[in-house]
Amino acid sequence: MSQINYRTINVDQLDPESSVNFPMETLLPATLPQPETSSDAANVATQVRQLLRSGDTEGALRHVLDTAPLGGDDRAKEVHLATVIEVLQGIRQAEMTRVLEGVTGGEGGSERADCLMKYIYKGMSSPGPSSDAQSPRKTVSPQATGFSQIQARNLGEGGGGQQMSVLLNWHEKLVELTGTGSIVRVMTDRRTV
Amino acid sequence: MAAPQVHHLFHAPIADHSFSTDRQTLAVARDNNVELYQASGSKFTLSDELKGHDKTVTSVDIAPNSGRIVTCSQDRNAYVWEKTATGWKPTLVLLRINRAATFVRWSPSEQKFAVGSGARVIAVCYFEEENDWWISKHLKKPIRSTITTLAWHPNSVLLAAGSTDSHARVFSSFIKGIDQRPEPSAWGERLPFNTICGEYLNDTAGWIQGVCFSPSGNALAFSGHDSSVTVVYPSAPEQPPRAMLNISTRLLPLNSLIWNGENEIIAAGHDCEPFRFRGDESGWQLAGSLEKQSGAGAAGAREESALNMFRQMDLKGQTAMDTKLKSTHQNTVNTIRVFEEADGQVSSFSTSGVDGRVVIWST
Repeated sequence: MSQINYRTINVDQLDPESSVNFPMETLLPATLPQPETSSDAANVATQVRQLLRSGDTEGALRHVLDTAPLGGDDRAKEVHLATVIEVLQGIRQAEMTRVLEGVTGGEGGSERADCLMKYIYKGMSSPGPSSDAQSPRKTVSPQATGFSQIQARNLGEGGGGQQMSVLLNWHEKLVELTGTGSIVRVMTDRRTV
Repeated sequence: MAAPQVHHLFHAPIADHSFSTDRQTLAVARDNNVELYQASGSKFTLSDELKGHDKTVTSVDIAPNSGRIVTCSQDRNAYVWEKTATGWKPTLVLLRINRAATFVRWSPSEQKFAVGSGARVIAVCYFEEENDWWISKHLKKPIRSTITTLAWHPNSVLLAAGSTDSHARVFSSFIKGIDQRPEPSAWGERLPFNTICGEYLNDTAGWIQGVCFSPSGNALAFSGHDSSVTVVYPSAPEQPPRAMLNISTRLLPLNSLIWNGENEIIAAGHDCEPFRFRGDESGWQLAGSLEKQSGAGAAGAREESALNMFRQMDLKGQTAMDTKLKSTHQNTVNTIRVFEEADGQVSSFSTSGVDGRVVIWST
């Protein structure tokens, strides 16, 4: 016992009141919607695709942001992220400002703007589903280089790079409308998408 | 609206500042000391230093009537400074905390003060005659993280606290023998020590950086790191509030706020300039900046001669210096305080920030 170096003991782990044991769920508001499953998210995706096909891009974006599975499980969130990205990629650059003004205006507009900002950041942090599916090259890459991020992001080639540039375009337009406050709220908000 | 009075005291961050009631003395927290400045003409000159803390001083407050100064610091101590013939004499306060003290404010009655800390407690301190020292009682439940800010209700019993657990709370700090029994209000009727009269969380969470009661004490405003200001109107004890209005702004987060009457809030923070919010129970909105839009920026942009332009290009590779902000403050504003008021109507207020400036604004 005399061998223990008391200086290296992580005392926070032994203290039940320590800040490392902070209950994160206390940061979730009481108004959090009911948990959704991935099949709910898939239903939304079908509805949104119909709206997109009928040419109602603004309606599609509005619907997909209003139905964000804030209380859902990881799988539901992933499905919904794919839907949002699909909508964002389906809107032409010339239309972006008009659509954004419509979606972020009116009742609940600022919540939709904050929600869209969350999806933009989440989209930029994830490798992008399209590049995953269509790049077998990635799995047969010569040998592990240790730079896992380079492969995961797949910048500049394939779907990942294109998705990134779409998201960056949206980000620029959205910040013009909602200011830096919206970016700050993505960082503080615990209702993740 | 007169131009703001700028006092650039030094090139170091000001954690907190406080003016005496006669507005002749200014106390400023700088590193491990508190510096006292005396007004002489239109300027403030250094007159005294309060040395005693051995870590960064986080907060300072001058009691309006008694003139006592209370300071607190990251060294986990608070001192009450009293002016004697031989200078300022500190009295140690028994805080009993094991983390930094982050914020201190005198109650309006000046019988007590509250110290927020990283130890997840608020120490409510009062003077004990028989032992001749300041002792404290702890408000503990249900604080889950560091207290960042505090504000007193006009009745000196209710205390609002903002915390890094994203909650703004209203506590009773009633101490028998010190406090008068408070009038029943929408916050509560019977108020023993550590009664929780309200606990509020924004949808977007975010650390709470500033809290303030309205002049009547019947509304509470708080600003958080989610760039929003929230105003709460309580209905009755133990009931959900009558209205809780969240104004999410397009600005950077606001660090500190004050009320001007019951229908206006002035707040400042990382955008380096004060902003005005207006509204009532039915709704609040951002009403714009108090900075004169054409003011500092236009005056700061000097007439550029062609010679000067080419010289700049040669020396620095750019035609104009763009390192100066257009706002009066050149960095984050930490504290905003009422400077002059009558019946809750603020005619001027002061701000201090990371840029070492104290600025007095008229509303």
